[in-house]
Amino acid sequence: MVDVASIRPLAAVLVSFLAAGAIVASHRYPNVRDSWSVIAALTKFGIVASMLPGVMDGTVYVWSLGTFVPGVEFALRADPLGMLFALLASFLWIFTAFYATGYMRGLDEPNQTRFFAAFAMSLSTALGIAFAQNLVTIFVFYELLSVSTYPLVAHDEDAEARIAGRKYLAYTFFGGGVLVLAGTVLVFQLAGTVDFAAGGIPALAEAAGADPWFARLAFGLLVTGFGVKAALMPIHSWLADAMVAPTPVSGLLHAVAVVKSGAFGISRVILDVYGPDLAADLGVHIPLAIVAAFTLTAASIIALRKDHLKRRLAYSTTAQLSYIVLGLSMLHPYAILGGLFHIPAHAFGKLTLFFCAGAIHVETHTDYISEMAGIGKRMPFTMAAFTIGAAGMAGIPLIAGFVSKYYMLIGGLGAGGIGVIGAEGATMSPLMGTIFSGSLIVSGLLNIAYFWPIVYTAYFESENDHDAKPLLEFPMGGKPESYGVSVGRLTDGGKRIEDPEHETGYAVDRFPSDHAGADADDHEHEHDDHHGGGPPAEGWERRRPWAESTWLMLVPIGLIATGAIVLGVVPGQAVFFDLAVYIVETVTGVVVP
Amino acid sequence: MIENVPALLIVLPILVATLPLLVGLRYERVGWTVAALTTTAAFAMALWLALVIFTTGEAVIHQLGGFPRPIGIELVADRLSAPFVVLATGISMGVLAYTRRGGPRGNSFYSAYLLLLGGLLGLSLTGDVFNMFVFLEITGLTTYALIAKGKSGESAIAALKYLIIGTVGASMYLIGVGFLFVATGTLNMIDLATAIPQQAGYGNPLILTAFAFVFVGFAIKIALFPLHTWQPDAYQRAPDGATPLIAALVSTVSAYALFRLVYTVFTVEFLVSIPHASEIVVTVGSISVLAGSALAVMQRRVKRMLAYSSVSQFGLVVLAYGLMNDTALLGALVHLIGHAIMKGGLFLAVGTIAAGTGARTVKEYAGLAKRMPFMAGSLAVLGLALVGVPPSIGFLGKWFIAVGAIEAGIWPVAVVVLLSTMLTLGYIARLLERMYFTPAPTRGGAPEGSLATDGSGNDPTPGAVSAGMLGVTVLAALLAVALGFSGGAFDSLLGPFIEVILNG
Repeated sequence: MVDVASIRPLAAVLVSFLAAGAIVASHRYPNVRDSWSVIAALTKFGIVASMLPGVMDGTVYVWSLGTFVPGVEFALRADPLGMLFALLASFLWIFTAFYATGYMRGLDEPNQTRFFAAFAMSLSTALGIAFAQNLVTIFVFYELLSVSTYPLVAHDEDAEARIAGRKYLAYTFFGGGVLVLAGTVLVFQLAGTVDFAAGGIPALAEAAGADPWFARLAFGLLVTGFGVKAALMPIHSWLADAMVAPTPVSGLLHAVAVVKSGAFGISRVILDVYGPDLAADLGVHIPLAIVAAFTLTAASIIALRKDHLKRRLAYSTTAQLSYIVLGLSMLHPYAILGGLFHIPAHAFGKLTLFFCAGAIHVETHTDYISEMAGIGKRMPFTMAAFTIGAAGMAGIPLIAGFVSKYYMLIGGLGAGGIGVIGAEGATMSPLMGTIFSGSLIVSGLLNIAYFWPIVYTAYFESENDHDAKPLLEFPMGGKPESYGVSVGRLTDGGKRIEDPEHETGYAVDRFPSDHAGADADDHEHEHDDHHGGGPPAEGWERRRPWAESTWLMLVPIGLIATGAIVLGVVPGQAVFFDLAVYIVETVTGVVVP
Repeated sequence: MIENVPALLIVLPILVATLPLLVGLRYERVGWTVAALTTTAAFAMALWLALVIFTTGEAVIHQLGGFPRPIGIELVADRLSAPFVVLATGISMGVLAYTRRGGPRGNSFYSAYLLLLGGLLGLSLTGDVFNMFVFLEITGLTTYALIAKGKSGESAIAALKYLIIGTVGASMYLIGVGFLFVATGTLNMIDLATAIPQQAGYGNPLILTAFAFVFVGFAIKIALFPLHTWQPDAYQRAPDGATPLIAALVSTVSAYALFRLVYTVFTVEFLVSIPHASEIVVTVGSISVLAGSALAVMQRRVKRMLAYSSVSQFGLVVLAYGLMNDTALLGALVHLIGHAIMKGGLFLAVGTIAAGTGARTVKEYAGLAKRMPFMAGSLAVLGLALVGVPPSIGFLGKWFIAVGAIEAGIWPVAVVVLLSTMLTLGYIARLLERMYFTPAPTRGGAPEGSLATDGSGNDPTPGAVSAGMLGVTVLAALLAVALGFSGGAFDSLLGPFIEVILNG
């Protein structure tokens, strides 16, 4: 790889930072203000994309401010791994910029200026994380990301949002300001440098040979610190609470930029600080893989029981992020490729899902899955996109999620030394490899178990005739008595009857103030946040796909869902896969066919 | 010419301090002008002095009255004192931008203010341990006076409390100096450094006692836990215009003086050769970090909260003194300078907010971001800098201290240093949440002191907040961020000095 000095990495970071200033300055003119987001998103993507051909040809664009602290430069470096994350975040921001405008205006939210400014700042810091050349620089942006996303989490300014914000700050600062900083200082102390190097920092490998426990401690600190944002268990619970944020935030930040910055940080630590070889020598990958495998199974099981759609998606995110971490921590070239490709694959799928959840919320104020029976009539297009996204999460072929999971499975078996493909690169015992691969398959099944009922209830049930979902709503193992009679609601004339299941649902899941007004019939024109969800009294209105919501939201949903299919059908034609292959080649020297 | 600048820097403010009172007999509001001219001149001289020192690399030494070292008193401006001289004059100048409109008014305030500046510069520049006591007393007495300028009775009590406790501290220092003099026969710092091992030896009880008295005396002046009790009252009750000055400079320069005494007079060999000396310093600092933060989180009043925050931050500095490696010492000095800027800025913001809206408790800060966006923004930036969010001067100090702690291999201390992020966040996040994410109370719950009759009463009172007050606060916030990129500069400016004191 050839280093070329260039201002472009800095420009890519600064574009949205400057846009944030412009957004605040033009707060009196909403149209001008919102167009800044779009302009910045397009410019940002343009700058990142302009570096892509060079990076694929082996050029690395570097910009340096000079010494930040003695021995460490403040420098940005657009290498393949950074490009993967930067390209993804800046590309998806374009759609989110449109969608967010539609969403925020649709709900007539207050404090939109602060929202869009903080959003642009977050993207700035996400790109900073992507392009950071060393651990200190990544730490700088990691902290700034925590700061700039805090206003987005606490956006609603009510008690729930404030508590979520407090939790968010506490978790992310503990992860960043304490753990990542501690790990960085330790690495600096051990190796004398913190600059990333593909395949690991050589000086660190030497130091680790002399004192492996310090190297292990530093690895643990760094991975745990980044793991906070990657929502590894048991430090995941901020993510579900952060779902009080407006949906564009949940979508782009809490499914793509913020949480992926954690996963990306872990990939930097594994691939560019320690390197797969050193990590395998130290044996640190097994505990990390165990945590990841546990998280993806446990989070999937928790997701089964969440009736709030965004919370279910949040736990799904927790699980999917652990796929990435698991893929990376198996240290096998195929698994690393799968893990890296899962970054964009999950991003496209999950962003579709969140956008759909947001569109449903804006149009019908429905947040709870139990109230979504028959919603396919009202929002056919949205629910179709939702189905695609859900299939991607479960790893159904032809959708993006399948490709990454396929490579992870091969890599998992190869890491255990099983089979013929890549078995020479074994990094763990066959039992471990089997367990980790098995957890991927189990989690895929669980994905179907919690996503299919949503699709089913939306399309194949109607608002006055829908069943409880045994696996999701009953005690684990089923009810002792027959539930067909006690739950299956019979109706007496098409009117919806509040059934007992829903009453308990309310008491547990929502605020009493939200309960009132569920029968209002003007959902489209209702801008009250505390409006109840569920179908109107006369049932869902039947709408055509292009009339179900504003184009500001439908077009982004459609495009991103298309993207998820493209990544799944022709991954070789979409640039992300090539990038991931290229990264694996630079790090491990193995060319994955 | 340059060798007279250290003397001028001290003499000028002290002599001019008489002018506001004298000329004030005829012209009523002359105090601010006199102070502004003097401080600007002092700032210019300080910059010149620093420029000369850092370009030539040589210390500038002034012998008072032309008497040479063993008999006469020396003023020494070296790589260590120069940044603090610039800091003291610079912050004093900034605070003047606040006091012109924000008060306290009156010529006697500006006399005390100039005396304080003279005392602080004296403390920074003196090369003689007894002379240091004199300047310590000048600083202390003027600080008591400034605190007592507050209008309420509590101000007088706070001043009296500080007077008693502060005088005890200064007296302990004097006793320590006495022991040193008895043991060595000299008061000059440079002579003492060689005389202590040669004439008394590090293990000499006189020297040990002297160290104990000096350390405890300064621990009182710096306000380390549990000797901090004067400080929250003093900061809270002092007039809003005087608090930034006191909070930013008085403890900072005392901490500088302690550094000077520990590393120039007693030297690092003393710390190494005396069992538990450095451990005690580190422990006192660590406890101060923890206790100060815990107390800060519990406060309802913002000024008091920030006062306890100082207890914690100075704990971090003193802790770094005891780590005895170059990175930690650099961190201590950077954090001293950084803390002065951040805490000065925070108190300026708090004063401006109180002037504009009457809000003084954390609760009353609700919805402040809408009423005073620039002040809320500055407060947020400065607060986050104090937490150690990069890029900021607060992060730099913490980085150096953390690297130093791990280099020293004292793990509990490293944990304390790293956890200080969370501890600081504990009280800063309260403010952020109040200002930005808690809607302002409606009329019934309006903060006291604001005329909330028509819903617009919470706007800044026109005239109470001047452009100078806003400008200097915003400037402090920008400076705190901009200095975050100065890690290399600090290393090259202060590094050689630390190299010398550690390795001879």
